Amino acid sequence: MKVLLLRFGELYLKGNNRNLFEGQLINNIKEMLAGEEFKFSKTFGRYVISNYKDEREGEIVTKLGRVFGLHSFSRAEEIDATPESIQAEVEKIDLDGKSFKVIVKRADKSFPIKSMDFASSLGGVMLKKYPSSRVDLYNYDTEINVDIRMNGKAYVYTTLIKGQGGLPLKTAGKGLLLLSGGIDSPVACYLMAKRGMTMEAVHFHSYPYTSERAKEKVFSLAKILSGYVGQIKLHVISFTKIQESIHVHCKPEFMITIMRRIMMRIAEKLCEQNGLGAIVTGESLGQVASQTMQSMTVTGSVISSLPVFRPCIAMDKEEIMAIANKIDTYETSILPYEDCCTVFLPKNPVIKPTIEKAEKEESHLDIEALVKEALATEEIIYIK
Amino acid sequence: MIYLDNGATTKMFEECMDIYKEYACDAFFNPSTNYIHGVNISKKLDEVRQNLLAKLGAKRGDIIFTGGATESNNLAIRGSLRKGWEHVFSIGEHPSVYNVAKDIETFSDYSVKFVPLSKNGQVDYDELEKLLSPKTRLISVMHVSNETGAINDIKRVAKIRDKICPKALLHVDGVQAFCKIEFNLDDLGVDLYTISAHKFHGPKGVGALYVRNKQALKSIVFGGGQEFGLRSGTENVAGIMAMACAFNKINVKENFEKVKKFNTLFIENMNKVDGVHILKIDNSDKDSSFSPYVISLSFDGVNGETLMRALENDVVVGMGSACSAKKSGNRVLENMGMDKSRIKSSLRVSFNAYLNEEEVVSSAEIIAKRYKEVWEKVK
Repeated sequence: MKVLLLRFGELYLKGNNRNLFEGQLINNIKEMLAGEEFKFSKTFGRYVISNYKDEREGEIVTKLGRVFGLHSFSRAEEIDATPESIQAEVEKIDLDGKSFKVIVKRADKSFPIKSMDFASSLGGVMLKKYPSSRVDLYNYDTEINVDIRMNGKAYVYTTLIKGQGGLPLKTAGKGLLLLSGGIDSPVACYLMAKRGMTMEAVHFHSYPYTSERAKEKVFSLAKILSGYVGQIKLHVISFTKIQESIHVHCKPEFMITIMRRIMMRIAEKLCEQNGLGAIVTGESLGQVASQTMQSMTVTGSVISSLPVFRPCIAMDKEEIMAIANKIDTYETSILPYEDCCTVFLPKNPVIKPTIEKAEKEESHLDIEALVKEALATEEIIYIK
Repeated sequence: MIYLDNGATTKMFEECMDIYKEYACDAFFNPSTNYIHGVNISKKLDEVRQNLLAKLGAKRGDIIFTGGATESNNLAIRGSLRKGWEHVFSIGEHPSVYNVAKDIETFSDYSVKFVPLSKNGQVDYDELEKLLSPKTRLISVMHVSNETGAINDIKRVAKIRDKICPKALLHVDGVQAFCKIEFNLDDLGVDLYTISAHKFHGPKGVGALYVRNKQALKSIVFGGGQEFGLRSGTENVAGIMAMACAFNKINVKENFEKVKKFNTLFIENMNKVDGVHILKIDNSDKDSSFSPYVISLSFDGVNGETLMRALENDVVVGMGSACSAKKSGNRVLENMGMDKSRIKSSLRVSFNAYLNEEEVVSSAEIIAKRYKEVWEKVK
């Protein structure tokens, strides 16, 4: 029987919590495959997806490729774990003119032949059947895997598809992403979700300084991300009034610093209101003036009760772009619509602000009122 | 809401919809068929061709129906390319001409040259003369600029052509001119002329290319050989009939006079406002000529796009070429020598003849007021 054999990643490192993680992973797999016809079964250390329609296999593989916590998976043939039936299955593999190697793994030690012995005997059978083939343990065209499990079944396969790795979604708390529409923040979302975090997002728009298209772009990005992280609750907040006030009352070079500080405050409030445990940003050290160490100290200093995670912090732009390409957000991110950081952009933003100076600038503003007013503009959109 | 972005598109006449429906649902036959119903449709299309030629003021030549101006421009340019020859384009062209030229430029077989613009938005005739040679195959200069409203003196271009390269084809993108300003194609000396239905209250997705001599043009799409073999594909009969309905309804002269009044009124009102610059006024010289349908203006200290959005629920204005609104920068205004900050603060207002004077005055007032409000916030 044709099946998909699934392996999970570092979950095996978990001790007493393993069941919790595994239970969530299984839920996530089932959720990702909702709408597909399939049977799910579990054997120690492996999951098996079977009884799916042939023509849906490609789509199922694509979907599994987005499940965090899955290390790899293979298209395999499931057979009874007897030497005869395994050999018969292996013999179906076409090795004409190819180099190959055979790997046998026995989770079930009651299987009568030792792994090494069985592998070499299968190799001998195949050499006889395909005289033009040869064994090469290092430079092989085909790797024949025989996986003998505890459920009385064996799995024969030649392909290995890499999964996302990471930890199952919903096992690492909930975070709030500051989603701007640029390249970095969607990548930050993906990276945190990959470590199991459930993501909500906040987007600040500045109509009429930013356009409806900029907002649409953010919806598109959230839509792409939801393919990995499931439904995203997107909080959309109008930032217009705040920007106008900063523009009037603060020094231009502090525009971005104060903006970021107020965004953080709004994010913290949203976290409180929605039971979220961390703020996530796409900042990368030194990328722009607002992302120097000093700037991040000053913007982060308004947050007292939550961690701020910046998963892109030590990445080069190129590395971030590579991930954006991989997860398909890049093309959308580079659409040329202004986001709210690009209006009122000062010519020389401060690179090394201090908390004291920022606080002094902010003393001209009624921060509490501005935050409250901005929160009142909140629109919530569920994107999946 | 007052709509002043008629350069981007116009509202379709209701009558066109009736005609469209008639030819989509009742007289829906394929004009290429040989039974009587199809033949009748084909006769109808030929009538439209004759009407359109008359409206264009062309005693000879043919009409090729297309899927709109972009397709007409592509056919006109790509269909007349000749290897080893020179193809000359005004730099102020709409993207549907300019980007075709940029694409052709990448092939070493074809020489492509661009003529700069004068400060008044017209093509620089002296430069044009310098760029032409007996090896020139095609000249493409738009009639009315979609960005600035500047009217190119096509007769003058044709005269220069006749002097240096009489065999060269003259293509004119007439999208912002046809049914708006009066002209006579035979007078102008044009070989290829592009029009688009949705710019004169017809449906979107239909246009035409006037071709003086079909033999000079090669097809760029192949198929059933419709439209004299130059544009294969079943004709968009309903669209073409609706387009005909639109241009038949329009009295160009009468509309022109009305819009001229609108233009004057609008400019009078805007001119009173500090910080507003009107391109037509600032960039005029003895050769200047502007279509009253388009006004390009800029607003000191305010981003044009921001102002456009601040206005959008009351007055809809444009950013120049809607087709390029998604891109940054403005090739046309830059080439006229306008400085960057002024370009960024530019907007385009474009009229139709079916507005009234109150709407024009009130839109000018709203724009002036909103400009001040935005300026107060961003100054």
